Amino acid sequence: MRKAWLVAKHEYLTMVRKRSFALATLAFPVLIAAFLALTIFLAQGSSDERPLGYVDLAGVLIDGAQPAGDADFAFLPFAGEPAALAALQAGHIQAYYLLPAGYRESGEVQLTALSETPPGAAQRAFDAMLRASLLAGQPADIQQRLANGVNLTVRSMDGRREFSQSNFINLLLPFVAGFFFVYAVLSSAGYLLQAVTTEKENRTVEIMATTLAPDHLIAGKAAGLLAVALTQLAVWVAAIVLGLAVGAALEPALRAVQIPWTLLAVVLLYFLPSFALIGGMMIAIGSVFSEMQQGQQVAGILNLLFMAPFFVLIVIFANPDGPMAVGMTLFPTTSFLTVLIRWGLTTIPAWQLALSWLLLVASAAGSVWAAARIYRAGMLQYGQRLSGAAIKAALRGHGPADELARGHTSS
Amino acid sequence: MNPFDEQATVQVEQIKKSFGAVEAVVDVSFEVYPGEVFGLLGPNGAGKTTSIRMMLDIFRPDAGRVAVFGGSMDEAKKNRIGYMPEERGLYRDLRLEQTLVYLATLKGMSEPAAKGQVTEWLQRLDLYEHRTKRIQELSKGMQQKAQLIATLAHSPDLLVVDEPFSGLDPLNTRLVKQIIQEQADAGKTVVMSTHQMYQVEAMCNRIVLIDRGHSVLYGRVDEIKRRFAGHAVSVAGSGDFAHVPGVLEARPPGENGAWHLALQPGAEPHDLLRTLASRPDITIDRFEVAEASLDDIFITVVQGQRGEAADA
Repeated sequence: MRKAWLVAKHEYLTMVRKRSFALATLAFPVLIAAFLALTIFLAQGSSDERPLGYVDLAGVLIDGAQPAGDADFAFLPFAGEPAALAALQAGHIQAYYLLPAGYRESGEVQLTALSETPPGAAQRAFDAMLRASLLAGQPADIQQRLANGVNLTVRSMDGRREFSQSNFINLLLPFVAGFFFVYAVLSSAGYLLQAVTTEKENRTVEIMATTLAPDHLIAGKAAGLLAVALTQLAVWVAAIVLGLAVGAALEPALRAVQIPWTLLAVVLLYFLPSFALIGGMMIAIGSVFSEMQQGQQVAGILNLLFMAPFFVLIVIFANPDGPMAVGMTLFPTTSFLTVLIRWGLTTIPAWQLALSWLLLVASAAGSVWAAARIYRAGMLQYGQRLSGAAIKAALRGHGPADELARGHTSS
Repeated sequence: MNPFDEQATVQVEQIKKSFGAVEAVVDVSFEVYPGEVFGLLGPNGAGKTTSIRMMLDIFRPDAGRVAVFGGSMDEAKKNRIGYMPEERGLYRDLRLEQTLVYLATLKGMSEPAAKGQVTEWLQRLDLYEHRTKRIQELSKGMQQKAQLIATLAHSPDLLVVDEPFSGLDPLNTRLVKQIIQEQADAGKTVVMSTHQMYQVEAMCNRIVLIDRGHSVLYGRVDEIKRRFAGHAVSVAGSGDFAHVPGVLEARPPGENGAWHLALQPGAEPHDLLRTLASRPDITIDRFEVAEASLDDIFITVVQGQRGEAADA
């Protein structure tokens, strides 16, 4: 097994030293940082620090009635609309609100701005001042309660899941993470295809065949590239955790986002067998075809099998417990992505999770077993692809696969 | 010390291999001993590479027996073998030294020892300055030398080299020849497959000639040459010597101004002399029996075999 370890180490170091790997791995953290920056920017609004004006013809507003924490915007009272309009045109204020005399009956408020309307935070601050003014005279706790409104939490019957209005990102996160995790599996398996065909293309297979057993070679390659995928995942998970921690410190809106630890556990459980499943398929494709390009075309079609849940996303979103969603949860090539998509939408029954994982593991084992046999049969096929009959014979343990020694043969 | 006193490094007994309906190897046998350079010869498609692959446990023979270092192949024995295949290549997008160290460690060496050995070989083969280059950036000749280092860096006891001189200039051919001879002198076993008969003649102690999957000639080079003495003549004169009965191949005059004629199996020099003397279109200035070169023997045996097959 020392040789398999050397192959794994070699494949890992070769891959992580490539510029393309660094780019693909760092793109996700950069995206997270950009997303955070955008969220904070939108939450904090523009940098226009000019005050807002108001004309209170209804006699409702009490100056300085903003609750603590919402006092980031200054409000200037104006006796009449002409004065407020003049201040606006002179650029002293961003905009002004007008409460008509019949405000208490109609609830109507007018906002006048020159070109850009004030940011959402400014409008929320005015709204808070208006509520506080209307509630003046009520006990402080009542004021606070009414100002905060209702925070509705929807909880599933078994209590395993809950979803509240303030953490909608928790719904989106599994979906986005799912995309990247599946991308990691597919790209690593793609490297495996490359690793298998490269040895045939550059004629190093014969040297390898007289150096170590084919099983050790292929096991080493798969382990090395799995480590590559895990490295990528570790960087991404660290980026998510760090991003949320930093984001929560900078922007209160992000504090509601919880790090989905249970989801991460599911990812870890599904990742390895999913990788083995597609990895085995890629090794088999690489062994059947003599050129990388031919292999990639078939691999591209296979990738579609893994990405299929994205094509029926609307169906899964509309009915996350429907037959399509359940079927794709159980089908080995689609289970990983479907589970991740459904995670944010529903409570996946435990039996579905258990059965889909078992089916995935069983098919992954079959895929690796078949790949090892086809690899042995196809490793010396220069310039010609392995025939269907040869593949069948290899899987039965006869024919070309049997021609190749397995480390301790020759008689 | 006589190498034949030792146990054979390689024993191949009546191996047979078919791929579907094609019989690649029908009956090939030979033994190779430590300290000798053994030539594996044969025309294209004769079954040389298939025989090598069976010898090295890449293919399993349909019948017959192969023993390397006294028994069946195992992982430890693989570490004692250096193989330079005819279909060769290295990881093209990797750096030279990194690749060679990786391959040497796969042959059981520790990384520091592999680095030391690789450095020595790179220096000897004038590749040290190129050690950080990617292999695809090296010239074909340099890649060929790199391949030789990959075969030798782990100090194998059995060296199997398939067409080791292809792609090399005369200077590097001489260097590679010298290295192969050094390995044999150091007691290593060398199996060399090549089409360059003069190299075989200069380097090999013994040979096996394979044709159409059969061993058709096997033994010591000097004994074989003795056996085939009289199968070539050297003739100086004028006329068309290529189309004379009994002549298998006529090589035009070289430096000595004489034609070199390889004789067909069964043809005798004195019969040829009589035929030439009776031809009005040919004049003879000099006629002498030449020592048959391996080239002559190769052609005589292979074409003789095919003639027999056609007659049968």
